[in-house]
Amino acid sequence: MTDDPTDGPTAPTDDGAASSGETDHDAERARADGGALEVADGHAQDEHAMPPTSSLKRWFVTTNHKDVGLLYIATSLSFLMLGGVLALLMRAQLWVPRAPGTGPLSAMAYNQAVSVHGLVMVFWFLSPFAFGFANYVVPLQMGAKDLAFPRLNALSYWLYLSSGVLLFVSFFQGGTFAGGWTMYAPLNLPAFTPSVGGSAAVLALMLFVASVTVSSVNFLTTMHRMRAEGLTLRRLPLFSWTILLTVWMMLFAFAALLAALLLLSADRLLGTTYFAVNGANGALLWTHLFWFFGHPEVYIVFFPALGVMAEVFQTFTGRRIVGRKWFIAAMVLVALQSFIVWMHHMFLTSINLEIKTLFMATTIGISLPFDLMVFSLIYTMVKGKIRFKTPFLFSFGGLLLFILGGITGVFLGAVVLDYEFRGTYWVVAHFHYVMVGGVTALIGGLYYWYPKMVGRMYDEFLGKVHFALYFVGFNLLYFPMFVAWETPRRVFDYDPGMTAWHQMATVGAVVLGASFLVMIYNLVTSAYRGEVADEDPWNYVTTAEWAVSSPPPLENFPGLPSYARGTLEFLGGSSSALKTVDDDAPAAADRGTGAATDGGAPATLDGSEALAASAHTAEEVQAGEDHHASHASVWPFLVGVGALLLLLGLSGFTNATWSEGAMGTAHQASTGVGAVVTFGALVGMAREQFVGPSGPYGESWPFEKVSNMKTGMWIFLVSDVVLFGAFIGAYVFLRFSSGWIAWEPIPDNVVPGLINTYLLLTSSFTVILALEAAERESRGGVVASLVATVVLGLGFLGNKAIEWEHLFTDKGIWIDSGIRESTFFVTTGLHAAHVVVGLLITLYLILRAWNGAYLDDAAPVEHFGLYWHFVDIVWLFLFPLFYIL
Amino acid sequence: MTRLKLYTAIYVVLFVSATVQVLVEQAGIAYETALAVILALSFVKAVIVAGYYQHLRWEPRSLTYLMGIGLLAVLALTVAATYSITP
Amino acid sequence: MVTLDTFVGAVVGPAQLVPEGSRAVVFRRIYEVFLVLGTAVGVIVIAYMLWKAWKYRASADHGDDADRPQLGELPSGGGGGRKLFLSFSLSAIVVVSLISWTYLTLLYVENPEPVQDEEEPLTVRVVGHSFFWEFVYPNGESVNDQLVVPEDRHVRLVVTSEDVFHNFGIPELRAKSDAIPGQETNTWLLAEETGTYQANCYELCGPGHSHMTATVQVVSQSEFQSWYQGMGNESANDTAAAMDENVTANDTASALATPTPTGPSPALTTPAASSATTAASTQALPAPPTPTAAPARHAPTATRHHPEVI
Repeated sequence: MTDDPTDGPTAPTDDGAASSGETDHDAERARADGGALEVADGHAQDEHAMPPTSSLKRWFVTTNHKDVGLLYIATSLSFLMLGGVLALLMRAQLWVPRAPGTGPLSAMAYNQAVSVHGLVMVFWFLSPFAFGFANYVVPLQMGAKDLAFPRLNALSYWLYLSSGVLLFVSFFQGGTFAGGWTMYAPLNLPAFTPSVGGSAAVLALMLFVASVTVSSVNFLTTMHRMRAEGLTLRRLPLFSWTILLTVWMMLFAFAALLAALLLLSADRLLGTTYFAVNGANGALLWTHLFWFFGHPEVYIVFFPALGVMAEVFQTFTGRRIVGRKWFIAAMVLVALQSFIVWMHHMFLTSINLEIKTLFMATTIGISLPFDLMVFSLIYTMVKGKIRFKTPFLFSFGGLLLFILGGITGVFLGAVVLDYEFRGTYWVVAHFHYVMVGGVTALIGGLYYWYPKMVGRMYDEFLGKVHFALYFVGFNLLYFPMFVAWETPRRVFDYDPGMTAWHQMATVGAVVLGASFLVMIYNLVTSAYRGEVADEDPWNYVTTAEWAVSSPPPLENFPGLPSYARGTLEFLGGSSSALKTVDDDAPAAADRGTGAATDGGAPATLDGSEALAASAHTAEEVQAGEDHHASHASVWPFLVGVGALLLLLGLSGFTNATWSEGAMGTAHQASTGVGAVVTFGALVGMAREQFVGPSGPYGESWPFEKVSNMKTGMWIFLVSDVVLFGAFIGAYVFLRFSSGWIAWEPIPDNVVPGLINTYLLLTSSFTVILALEAAERESRGGVVASLVATVVLGLGFLGNKAIEWEHLFTDKGIWIDSGIRESTFFVTTGLHAAHVVVGLLITLYLILRAWNGAYLDDAAPVEHFGLYWHFVDIVWLFLFPLFYIL
Repeated sequence: MTRLKLYTAIYVVLFVSATVQVLVEQAGIAYETALAVILALSFVKAVIVAGYYQHLRWEPRSLTYLMGIGLLAVLALTVAATYSITP
Repeated sequence: MVTLDTFVGAVVGPAQLVPEGSRAVVFRRIYEVFLVLGTAVGVIVIAYMLWKAWKYRASADHGDDADRPQLGELPSGGGGGRKLFLSFSLSAIVVVSLISWTYLTLLYVENPEPVQDEEEPLTVRVVGHSFFWEFVYPNGESVNDQLVVPEDRHVRLVVTSEDVFHNFGIPELRAKSDAIPGQETNTWLLAEETGTYQANCYELCGPGHSHMTATVQVVSQSEFQSWYQGMGNESANDTAAAMDENVTANDTASALATPTPTGPSPALTTPAASSATTAASTQALPAPPTPTAAPARHAPTATRHHPEVI
């Protein structure tokens, strides 16, 4: 478990930082309206600490949200290429109905293409593409200098890239995963998909989930805690709103997916029998866990597109969105409801009629808010002044496609129709209209923010050519699928009567793919030759990213952003600070101060009036400006490298044995090196002095009185609640399936479990004592309490080892003996892993406490305590469930 | 100092109630009753640890709601999935 | 705006709001209503969108410029809330009533009312194997890759799987159900015309997925009776083959598959029996390579004989 978001037990990077950042240099300045030149100097110094964008090194060490955003966008577009090539291979195979063994792909290769196309597009392209924008734009929109935990943000990116590399490598490990992107059990087990690459793909997805979890914690902390003054949640721009809800859904949904993938990995690597053919109800368990994640995932990938549509519609129609608060309410409703519709993917399984009825009702319920959102976007055009620029064309087209996807989705809501559409091209066509409809809007977003990111305009004519090709290709590709809907999914030997439709779709696929070549040519050449873009190249924009230069300076704003007087103002800054100091800004020289434009751009005020209206004091403003944040750290990159090696190595471990021969040795070596590098890099990251952005900046609802670190910790713990909850849910489900009463606990003796309960409860008590000691500034007390915690934790693990040894040797059972054994060892094993991680952190805390840390600031001890007590709470449920009942 | 006393008292309560859980099982009462009592005790212990050791009692309510939402989500998963089983 | 009831009534006939009959009939009725209504809604909404987009294009210079969004303003909404709610309510009514209507059909499909004087439905157990279908009849006899059912009689299908997750579906008869290992799902069909249909697998199940098909023979009740009586002895083959004369040669080959005598539990299927079936079903396919041999690289041919290993 390396996705601990606590940033390690480093010094907190929030609250206190703003005041503690005072240096001699800062102290010289007493006045709030301090000299602009010096401010610019300060920025320049930061610039020197950070390699320029032309330096390759920058892209490996950067933690800046804009750099990370660009990395996300570039990487996700390369995965779009990979997914697209796989799609073209599939369409080539589908050119005519193929008999076995004919066509360009073998059956197994076709299944791999189908599976990885789905996985890559949904996970490695769609979400990260949207998150590229989220990274770049959200902090700007909400008036933050960066995300709350910049290094964790970089870590998310590197874990994402590593997971993608691992997925790519899996093709060359005897073939990658071939069980479909839904990975239905038991086809997902080595008995049916035995290749090492299959395991590698599963592990890659797990690493991706780790990245998403880190990212969710980071975004949630940032978006709730660090909004500019006056920017209440109700006032948050719509793109930021969609990202906020997306991240909330991600936090819960991906925790469930992590549970599913951990169980699957246990089955594949260790040989447990959760999903085995002869198991209790494993195939259905997988569908529940997968779709509990899978349905929210639909909105996770679509919401950002909705946000882009909302922003682009408002800008290019020159109108504010109709029914804004209802639009937001509808989205909140969808986000909540998305977690209670998953069984509509399972209408043909053995679920009973009552639950089908319930889930049919919730499914219709969730379609209605989308009606409202669609109408809201359409009515926004009325009385507008619509400019058909490329971003608008893509957003408008995206909405149009989404409407078609929505209407065909209502067909699926009727269960009787769903019965027949299940597993056919109707479903394929429907969700491509929805999801690729979303992609269409996101591409609109790419054109929309391109000038902001690059500082130059794209070529409008080529943009329109791209749209025309794209839109024609899209419909040529997916519409025939509705006509040929009787074709079963993932089958290449279809009814010859449908050949013409499938050939049309293949042609469409080629056109759609080619349209992206136009886009790439346009975006690459425009980066060098495009017309220079100023702050606001569009007019009628409202959000803060357009109030700063293109691209924005490293720390985003010329002062402290505030909406205290109803419009955006920069407190304490001066107009000269607005001039970008980022050396990759081609426009810098051509631009004036840029403060006031015809749109009534926000003024940068040097105190007085604006400051009077603000709740910020002059000192706060000054402190914020003098705050020298760090922007570079190499550790996230190294953690990514380590994780890649670790999981690459582990993929060679199947049913508790390493693969044979030299490959086995290589896998073991990779595992070992990867583990060492990951651990070392995490320690390095914990020890590094890194100053995060100052903050909060004004609005922190609903976590005003909780520090960033503590908020992040709690949010992480929620995802852990869902993880363990899903494990326990799986246990309950399987136990009910095979008869609750007849299912005896695995340990024949309750005493070891009871002793462990005592040990863990006592260790919780010692952690509380450590916090008390830290608050009373007793170094000896802190060290003694933490040492006691380690001793108790080791006692817990030792006792467990003795118990397991007894079960293995005396009772002759093993983790694969049956489903009872599997649930016992895997669930308590996950808990034990949490204990191990906790003990490693405790050891680190002891070392630091020995040197006198935590006496002036007990927060790290408290944050660790939150984790440790949570582990304790989990045991309070595991003990009765697995030992007593 | 008073806090320390409180923490100690809570520790004792937790310790005892863990023992009670085992005793309930061995008391020979009906399985369903034992199950209800034991799980209720676990829940109470969890609430005490979260409320006092994790300080939720003194934190803004939003954190409690946050945890509540997570719990609700997995309860929905567990209950609905288990309910859907056709015997 | 036509009210929903009159519209639905016009399409499905005033006599019967909830369509009943064979699954194919039920599906067609509902699908047609959805298709007509869906197309209408799609055309109206998209036409409206395009019209408004064109009407309010910048060059047309409509409307006043007084109240346009300003950079740096706090986000707020535009007017037009009433129209929004009107459209929303309208769409909600259409969607909810449509789905409620289909729910009545669902109740019928889940539990069709028994027709008077009809004999007990025939229950056939459908077992998915990688990559063929096994059909177990009430007399305990089983046939691979060919389902023979009588016309005009309800057939209850109890679907399960011997290895991975499959999905058994006969598109023309609109019967479909998941085949899940360790679980049984139920569906039914009512064939109103004799003939040959195809059953497919609708859930990715491995390299042979594309070719995991079975023939469905709908025969007259008397033909079925004689075929059913003859199951398990040698003459059954002849009957099946004779019955197939009007069918293509490929299907005949498939029909020749020896009905393997297995008990009610398909777990007893012997490896030898399934190999024979594979060979037979191979001939039924349009091209020579066998479904399991073709996907050369990782065909889990070994595993299918040893489901108990896993």
